Amino acid sequence: MDGFLQIRSATKMYRTPEGGSIRALDDVTLHIRSNELISLLGPSGCGKTTLLKCIAGFEDLDHGDITLTGQSLTRIPAHRRPFNTVFQNYALFPHLTVERNVAYGLDVAHVERKERTRRVGEALEQVGLAGFGARMPNQLSGGQQQRVAVARSLVLKPKVLLLDEPLSALDRKMRESMQIELKSLQHSVGITFIFVTHDQEEALSMSDRVAVLASGKVQQLASPKEIYDEPQNEFVANFVGTSNIFKGKVIAKEGRTLTLKTANGRELAVASDRFGVGDDACAVLRPEHLKLSGEARDRAIKGTVTQSVFVGSEMHLHVDVGLGRTAVVRHRHNKGSTEAAYGPGADVTLYYTPEAAHVIECKGA
Amino acid sequence: MFERIMSSKGWWRLFQAYGLVFLIFLYLPLALIFVYSFNANPINMAVWTEFTFDWYKTIFFGAGTAGSFDAAFTESPDRIFEVVRNSAIVALSASTISTVIGTATAIAIRRYDFVGKKVYQALLVLPMIVPDIVLGIALLIFFVGAGFELSLLTVIIGHTTFLSSYVFVVVSARLAGMDMSLERASADLGAGPLTTFRRVTLPQIMPGVVGGFLLAFIISLDDVVITYFIAGVGSQTLPLFILAMMRRGLRPQINALAILLLSFTFTVAAIGLYLRSRKS
Repeated sequence: MDGFLQIRSATKMYRTPEGGSIRALDDVTLHIRSNELISLLGPSGCGKTTLLKCIAGFEDLDHGDITLTGQSLTRIPAHRRPFNTVFQNYALFPHLTVERNVAYGLDVAHVERKERTRRVGEALEQVGLAGFGARMPNQLSGGQQQRVAVARSLVLKPKVLLLDEPLSALDRKMRESMQIELKSLQHSVGITFIFVTHDQEEALSMSDRVAVLASGKVQQLASPKEIYDEPQNEFVANFVGTSNIFKGKVIAKEGRTLTLKTANGRELAVASDRFGVGDDACAVLRPEHLKLSGEARDRAIKGTVTQSVFVGSEMHLHVDVGLGRTAVVRHRHNKGSTEAAYGPGADVTLYYTPEAAHVIECKGA
Repeated sequence: MFERIMSSKGWWRLFQAYGLVFLIFLYLPLALIFVYSFNANPINMAVWTEFTFDWYKTIFFGAGTAGSFDAAFTESPDRIFEVVRNSAIVALSASTISTVIGTATAIAIRRYDFVGKKVYQALLVLPMIVPDIVLGIALLIFFVGAGFELSLLTVIIGHTTFLSSYVFVVVSARLAGMDMSLERASADLGAGPLTTFRRVTLPQIMPGVVGGFLLAFIISLDDVVITYFIAGVGSQTLPLFILAMMRRGLRPQINALAILLLSFTFTVAAIGLYLRSRKS
């Protein structure tokens, strides 16, 4: 195990105005590797920002410990930790030029002038803002301010760069290009980026690993592919991507193939190494794993379209398959073809392979 | 209906006329003492005889130099310089101390949450609302009871009590518009609390601090009621001096003195407004 940045049993409570308390972080243990881009992904209030603040040193843990290469950070105040933060609203100093903003950390550390000028120039170059040094922050676009904030942090060569939803204030196009830039920047500077986001696409597309958080706990820590293909529980399956989740009881097992019987009596064949006859289980089928045409070895489910939504590149069909929940299917349509066949009320057969299904434990099945 | 009436030319004229009358009402008295201060008529200032600088001269050089005939009514320049010096000492000290206290309080209130914060805030603003005469009596009783001898020091302390409230309010307003994550960003970039205050917080709230200081300065400079109670024998300030002069009759020198005080106050206010427009 790489012992770079370790968070052990981190617990943080907040008092509510009513006098109660909320566990913002509940026994979180997370091992972060050096030189990786890890995302803390979760809905608002899941504790991801609190965790980031605790790592940065703006908040203290109630229990647990954070160590960097074996040394505890508990007693080290924020301004002495070798971490820097890119804030959600950038927090650029409005009374200083871009250059003075980027130079701030070096100024405070009394870095010699020549060295300072060189490093500031280098950092601005890195983020593609060479020549913008004399501007004031309010003369820059949102994307440019974002880059200044990144340069201001990177110029100090931190061991870890913490990014608190840094792209949430940008429009979609800008966000996508910044995602790619941040990722390549992380590669070139070779330091650990901890990236807080509530946007699952952003987390999947940028990260080496993703930690999914909910109600103060880590739900799953894995590579983006694993998170998507093999979600550990219902929360992850629902939060990351669209999932069709069918709950049932295992009534037969043949090799790796399980037969799942749902509450209303329909049967579903899925593949899994776990689970035995009599267990409750949930089958997760991604929309792209349900097809409107199939091969001989595929399993088929019959259903009725209840709704079809046009989203540009494809149609999203909501199909009532009599399994307790409507299934969402993505259908890539061809220009000029008649789509009337998949309008509401149309009878369709959905095909899938048992191997495509991912089976997880059901909570409260 | 209302818009129609307002847009008709006649009504608009009437509205303009009203605005003009109101401005005259506000500024005519000031304009009058301005004119009177240059009127050579020593008996009745409302009757113009000729233009003169004599009243200003008597303030700076005494009655003899201007050849004024009623030297008995004219204060000696030494006396005037003394009270101006007293006023300057009081106004500068009290507003400086209040600026430090008021600013520090505003920052603490903005930064920390604690039980009873709302009550504390209300208590901080209260001295602005307490009638001057009540505050004056209360301070007098306190100083006498605590064994202070009334002096410039008691005036400075007394002014500081309520001027801190003014500074607190002005700086708080400025702080409310400041992004608190700037302080966190500064700490994040390696700056300790003092460096953060000097390099980030203070520059951000400077217009408020300067504004608060100038406001406190002007209020201190022309305070009569509270000062009247807590000034000792040798600690007469300019407004108290003018008041005392008035008791012995409405002399032309008073007009000149008032105009000088007014010019100075306007200058201070203008500097304040200029600094504010430049900073924001």
